[in-house]
Amino acid sequence: MTTTLTGRPAAPGAALALAFALADAPGADQPLPESRQGDVDTEVARLDAALATAGEQLTALAERVAESAGEEEAEIFEAHAEFAEDPELRDQAVEAIGGGLSAERAIVVAFGAFRELLAASASEYLAARAEDLDDVRDRVVALLQGRSVEVEAPTVRSVVLARELTPSRTASLPRELIAALVTETGSPTSHAAILARSLGIPAVVACEGVLAAVETAGDGVEVVVDGRSGEVVIAPDDHLRAEVADRIDAEAARREALGELRDEPGQTGDGHRVELAANLGDPGDLEAAIAAGAEGSGLVRTEFLFQDRTDEPSVDDQVGFYLEVLRAFPGQRVVFRTMDIGADKPLAFVARDPEENPALGLRGIRLHLARPELFRDQLRALVRAHRAAADEDAGRLAVMFPLVAVPSELLAARTLLAAAAEDEGVSLDGVEVGVMVEVPSAAVGARRFAEHVDFLSIGTNDLLQYLFAVDRLNGAVADLADVCDPVALGLIGRVIADGHAGGAWVGICGEAASDPVVAAALVGLGADELSMTRVAIPEVKDVLRSLELERCQRAVHIAMEEGADGREVRALLEEHLGLG
Amino acid sequence: MPERTVNLPNPSGLHARPAKVFAKAAKAAPGAVTVSKDGREVNAASVLSVLTLDCHQGDAITIKVEGEDADATLDELVALVESGMGEDA
Repeated sequence: MTTTLTGRPAAPGAALALAFALADAPGADQPLPESRQGDVDTEVARLDAALATAGEQLTALAERVAESAGEEEAEIFEAHAEFAEDPELRDQAVEAIGGGLSAERAIVVAFGAFRELLAASASEYLAARAEDLDDVRDRVVALLQGRSVEVEAPTVRSVVLARELTPSRTASLPRELIAALVTETGSPTSHAAILARSLGIPAVVACEGVLAAVETAGDGVEVVVDGRSGEVVIAPDDHLRAEVADRIDAEAARREALGELRDEPGQTGDGHRVELAANLGDPGDLEAAIAAGAEGSGLVRTEFLFQDRTDEPSVDDQVGFYLEVLRAFPGQRVVFRTMDIGADKPLAFVARDPEENPALGLRGIRLHLARPELFRDQLRALVRAHRAAADEDAGRLAVMFPLVAVPSELLAARTLLAAAAEDEGVSLDGVEVGVMVEVPSAAVGARRFAEHVDFLSIGTNDLLQYLFAVDRLNGAVADLADVCDPVALGLIGRVIADGHAGGAWVGICGEAASDPVVAAALVGLGADELSMTRVAIPEVKDVLRSLELERCQRAVHIAMEEGADGREVRALLEEHLGLG
Repeated sequence: MPERTVNLPNPSGLHARPAKVFAKAAKAAPGAVTVSKDGREVNAASVLSVLTLDCHQGDAITIKVEGEDADATLDELVALVESGMGEDA
């Protein structure tokens, strides 16, 4: 029987494939037998069998991940396999069995002892391993109880369904086998949704009841996912299957057509230039961003260089990465945002006090200025990369400071940048400096910043979060922070006008620019550059090239004037742009 | 029972891949191998135990080998550590 459910659209595209339900982390809620039933030898034999199977499964998983996602991502599962095969872990469990415990309880105790030692460590690396131990423990316990744990990865192309998907869980799935992602919880701005968009996988989130519906339908059921409407159809009839198959073919043909735009510049139909750049998170994105036709980068998130490290990266390491990115975009601009780090993204090598409200705490430029050592090293590395790139056909360096709230922060950061350049004997000629506009005070006061910078870049994700007082990871309220809300678009329009009045160009970086309708509205408001997830570039480029500048301007002004809320504004935009 | 103290030359110390490489070598050795730091001694064949020592670049660790071919095994393990265990030392 066909069942239709509707969740929230999170990544565009259509899919038709077998359902693959990803179980919750196993072993969490079942009571374990406390004491051993049989003799010691029998119980130890059970334990050994479970440990050996866990090791084999994890090794196989590591191999699959290595093939689908690369060696680096496989390493975590290689480590998991080592943990399952650890002799000391086994010895401790065997001892506990000798003391009368069941194999289940004994292995939980043994894992617990190591977990405590690792979790107590000051090192972030070891604390993260403590969580890995929980994963392995749950697998061994499930094996002891005869429950299936081989749920991590489908073996054929499937629609993957789960209650929730953490980023690491999503990353461990073999990408080429995921036709679409559907989760029962989450919001379009949760990490899994962002990851799905960056991988080009259709996704629907907050689709309640989908797991139960798939379970009722039984094994081998097919699922249709529409990542644009949010519709999920379980056991589709032949008519719908044929229709979706056609739609998937049409999308593939469209992707191919879009691919031909790769080397064309971003501009409106009447030739008004709008740079379409990519947001970059790590070096792995570079090649794909170029393939998508990115015109440089409007946001390189440099903090990834510092995260997940037990020690501070050297200046030379940093120079190497910055140069790699600059070289990838000859003749184009690359905007490096200095590390955006706060108490919610702690670094193992920077000791700091916990904060009750890290989103409003000592982060971004505030941390740079409070603890300038790391910041100085980063600035030094950036100017060195600039010097090295100057003799080559490489990209142009631009530096952007995050979370600036008042002009004095900008001026202090500029002073440090100038000092770093002087120390290194490098001229800053040709280096653009800008501010990321994401704090409402910087947006409202944009005019006060514009005269001190070459550019302003509006970080819509955080600006909307702070403007509407909405935690964008909280699905219950995330809808409120709508870029199409007339207040949000009005503020963005004023920032752009204020920037231009002060002689700065104004770009947009953030998820908002990746939606073609919103992108056209932003161009209508005067944005000079749009930086977005690379996956969205071809579509946005195509749409902009079909629209005249004046039409974008008219559409956005009518929509802001007549629309009472984000939904109405969007509908008006679609109508007046002739999209949707 | 032969033992020797070495300073860890490689960037991640006895963490991540080097910890695995080291424990694997100790596991493959014919004798029993222990490693200690700051007086805490653990089974070197257990990567979990090795991790709990939380050894960083520059830390001094003491490797002890017992049993068959102890001297040769010790030489090999010390050479492995000094080579950086797969990382640039």
